[in-house]
Amino acid sequence: MNTVDFLNSREDLLSPGISACQGCMAELSLRVILKVLGEKTVLVVPPGCMAGAAVGGWNKSLGTKIPAAMPQLGNSASMLAGIKAAYDLVDPDVHCLAYAGDGGTADIGLQALSAAAERRDNIIYVCNDNEAYMNTGFQKSGTTPHGARTSTTPVGSVGRGKVNFKKDVPMMMAMQNTAYVATLTPAYMNDFVEKVQKAATIKDGLVYLHVLNPCPTGWGTKPENSIAYARAAVQSRYFLLYEYRNYEFTVSAPTKNIREPKDVTEFLQKQKRFAHLDEQDYEEVRRVVNSRWENLKKLAGL
Amino acid sequence: MTRIDALTGNECVAEAVRLCSPDIIAAYPITPQSVVVEVLASMKANGQLKSKIVDVESEHSSMSVVKGAAMLGKRVFTATAGQGLAYMYEPYFSMSTMRFPMVMTLACREMISPGTVWCGLQDALSVRDAGWMQIFCENNQEILDMVIQGYKIAENHDVLIPMNVCYDGFYLSHQTERVEIPDQEQVDAFLPPIDLPQYLDVNHPAIVDPNTVGSYLIRYREDHLKCMQTAKKVIREVNDEFAEKFGRNWGGLIGSYRLEDADYVLVTIGATTGAARVVVDAWREKGVKMGLLKIRAVRPFPEEEIAEALKGRKAYGVIDRSVCFGWNRGIIAMETFAALGKAGVCLPGLSFVGGLGGLDLRTEYVDKAAGMIVEAAKGAIPAGETFWMNEDFL
Ligand SMILES: Cc1ncc(C[n+]2csc(CCOP(=O)(O)OP(=O)(O)O)c2C)c(N)n1
Ligand SMILES: [Mg+2]
Repeated sequence: MNTVDFLNSREDLLSPGISACQGCMAELSLRVILKVLGEKTVLVVPPGCMAGAAVGGWNKSLGTKIPAAMPQLGNSASMLAGIKAAYDLVDPDVHCLAYAGDGGTADIGLQALSAAAERRDNIIYVCNDNEAYMNTGFQKSGTTPHGARTSTTPVGSVGRGKVNFKKDVPMMMAMQNTAYVATLTPAYMNDFVEKVQKAATIKDGLVYLHVLNPCPTGWGTKPENSIAYARAAVQSRYFLLYEYRNYEFTVSAPTKNIREPKDVTEFLQKQKRFAHLDEQDYEEVRRVVNSRWENLKKLAGL
Repeated sequence: MTRIDALTGNECVAEAVRLCSPDIIAAYPITPQSVVVEVLASMKANGQLKSKIVDVESEHSSMSVVKGAAMLGKRVFTATAGQGLAYMYEPYFSMSTMRFPMVMTLACREMISPGTVWCGLQDALSVRDAGWMQIFCENNQEILDMVIQGYKIAENHDVLIPMNVCYDGFYLSHQTERVEIPDQEQVDAFLPPIDLPQYLDVNHPAIVDPNTVGSYLIRYREDHLKCMQTAKKVIREVNDEFAEKFGRNWGGLIGSYRLEDADYVLVTIGATTGAARVVVDAWREKGVKMGLLKIRAVRPFPEEEIAEALKGRKAYGVIDRSVCFGWNRGIIAMETFAALGKAGVCLPGLSFVGGLGGLDLRTEYVDKAAGMIVEAAKGAIPAGETFWMNEDFL
């Protein structure tokens, strides 16, 4: 069955009407993940866009057709570990899923996440990376890229956006030998669905899925272009698609099959958060993107 | 059969936890509580503990893990002290306001700064308004007994509030005392299995702990506070049932010693009570009617019992191992003053602050305090004054 037919055959477990922004990829990604994992899933969503817009529900109505809970910002992994430990006594086949923002993951929740991976808690932890604290007004996070304007890295007569570089959480998780690590983005749905399907089969530890979800409101892009930005991120090698399991890196097809990589400006240009960047900044981004790709190639034996 | 052993306070906690057999335990070591975590781990390694232990990296995670497990209606346990309690404040508050029952022991420790690892009740008492029940113990047997009673009280469906069983770090956590350890059948007959719904259930989807409008939230708080009052009755009932079945009566919300006909009352909390007992005997020997009121429950605060116990006396003094910032006195003194004021009971009362940062609360100090209480009754010391049991006190 092709991916479209497969997804059509699966029940939609996320509320049909939610208050996410137009063109929100975090919503699409969550919807697909829930379709793949199915209704024997328990979901935790910490404060952030998806807790507010999708999952929380209002007026006594649920946002999902599966049970859900709201942890605090920094304890998605640890609270889910407790849920999993208890579920092991009830029904070990139930998927315990976290859908946390990059702030809840790369920053305040990193310690608990790393510990859960080390303990090999069998939970599925998804980082919804929209590259800033979007729900609370576009503040910088550890995964905000170099140069990006956010409300806490403003551009002014002196300020030029974020000074430092994006924290590479999937690589950190791989380096501590997390049971399964994969990077995903909704522009490549076959790859996306396959990775979530694989995640569902992992039983020997923590699954870490890092999803790049373009955010039109925070990035300053047109809602109808979200998928195009996700694709440009991959085609420019700004965002690398790969998997890690048992000390092996595998570069995923969409990244592996790039013959002529697009220039990073394909991804950076026309995003309002990068509007102030000049050729020197682009060059800096190119250098980092290239180094990351060279590093991954070595790790994957390419 | 009851086993008699010589155990530290920390070991008593571990023995009691083994007997209560929580489903999930997650605890992170910190002085002076660490031995609790170590003994539970070795019990597990030796096949003596049924609980699953989740080996966490911090107190924020220990409380989060047990909160997650509580969402499935499981019995859970954790323990901490001082900085660990401060570190877990976020899920700590949420655990109680979710109304998940559990027992968490605190080997109480002074709060920094300046740097300290030693005894003080400041850690527990600083979070007395975080929605938990808090019971303070005088000796190791009481610790062991209160962990067992704690689960029964917390899991009562009219209560459903988690409980801190608190004890003075080092003084009890590290001191060895004779204790009686009940056997498993006795505990099983006293403590029924936890009986709570599985809130997170794939067969009955619901959301746990969503954003909630104020019009609901205020009702949750009202109910929480009312159940805290109901807990007073349950604490007394469980105390009485325990006394009947195990032969040890700790008094429920308060304890007392030679209080019945006392003119002057020493009010204490925790391990200091032991020193105060000695002092009471000494004053009785001299023909002065000194008595002792031991505060066991700080949350719920036994305002009625305290007012009743102090009514008609000549004077009293509260000995605190904590400070109430902004009130220039100890926390229990402040709470006691409030309880008496509300009840319209008026008599001279003094506040003594001592034992901070592991300082000894020596019998000489308590003895001097007793003498000052007698002076206060004559009006020689103004009522409401605070005295610091530092090196200049004697
Ligand atoms: C302990 C704590 N500190 C701060 C906050 C405020 N806060 C709520 S959501 C959020 C940022 C979330 O960002 P991210 O995880 O990237 O999610 P997004 O909104 O982008 O989906 C912050 C800082 C909080 N909820 N808890
Ligand atoms: Mg974000």
